[in-house]
Amino acid sequence: MAFGLREFSLRAGDGSPSLDSSNGEELMHVQPSVAVALGNRSVESPGTLYITSRKLIWLSDVDVAKGYAVDFLSITLHAVSRDPQTYSSPCIYTQIEVVEDEEDEDVTESTGVLDLSKIREMRLVPSDSTQLNTLFDVFCECAEPNPEPVEGDTILLLSFNSVFASLTIYMFVLLYVFSEEEEDNGHNWVFSADQMVIGGGGEEDGEWPISQSPTSVIGHSNGDESIAQPMLELQISDERFDDAEEMVHESETRDH
Amino acid sequence: MLFFSYFKDLVGQEVTVELKNDLEIRGTLHSVDQYLNIKLENTHVVDQDKFPHMLSVRNCFIRGSVVRYVQLPPDGVDVDLLHDAARREARGG
Repeated sequence: MAFGLREFSLRAGDGSPSLDSSNGEELMHVQPSVAVALGNRSVESPGTLYITSRKLIWLSDVDVAKGYAVDFLSITLHAVSRDPQTYSSPCIYTQIEVVEDEEDEDVTESTGVLDLSKIREMRLVPSDSTQLNTLFDVFCECAEPNPEPVEGDTILLLSFNSVFASLTIYMFVLLYVFSEEEEDNGHNWVFSADQMVIGGGGEEDGEWPISQSPTSVIGHSNGDESIAQPMLELQISDERFDDAEEMVHESETRDH
Repeated sequence: MLFFSYFKDLVGQEVTVELKNDLEIRGTLHSVDQYLNIKLENTHVVDQDKFPHMLSVRNCFIRGSVVRYVQLPPDGVDVDLLHDAARREARGG
């Protein structure tokens, strides 16, 4: 997955762009006779706009090596622009998220070569301007199934949609909440009952206090006591947590 | 889901969306989805110098992940209710 605008010239035999169908990418809409204007540069045409489920692709109709692509993940805003005073032709105006680089305002003048990854605005000008609303709607439809891939959201989804034991759900939600507050401890979290067992017995961390209580191991998370307290409060003797028995066994056999 | 529900109730009201690139857009909230993607109508850009091309835009779709703030109409917000609801949501209850 690439960030920002980039060159794209992979074409299939019929001139259409090669898609990553193994990743589920499908062609959603084709709009012929579309010109493209990157940033403040002059418009380039003629070309064809291909809208896939993952990205926008513009391919030149006359130069097979010329084409641009941008993932919907990078398109932060899109709109229909119709004011002739702002731009000569009605177009779809888009903003593209770029990696911030403070010194870089001139996308061409610094090196003489266009740096596509710094393009922040792109206009797509169809020769048929009655198609603008259709294009806008297609952009909306394709943007929606391309949300940010964030781990935290996954945990939250699990907690609301799964049929796990209610205690597990409660713990997952709490883990999510605390992972938001504790920046460095995300990697220490356990996500399954099995992990809690392993994490409890095998560490060489000498700070782990010995305890006969089956609840304490889970309550101590690699030395970070501030997290331990709320975790302890979660412990209830639920027979679905087999590790309770294993914990007792491990405590008995530990040499300290 | 709290803010998704909350914004759905705000549809039709005027809001100002501030993006992470500092662009501020005022407009009528047309719709919102579960990722908090926002569609605005009758948009006006607050600071027109930075993005002059936005002058001619009247309707736009804003990706949820790029929103920094959404400024809400003061009489459209019950702060205490929202506060309680947010606290409940964080607790998972």
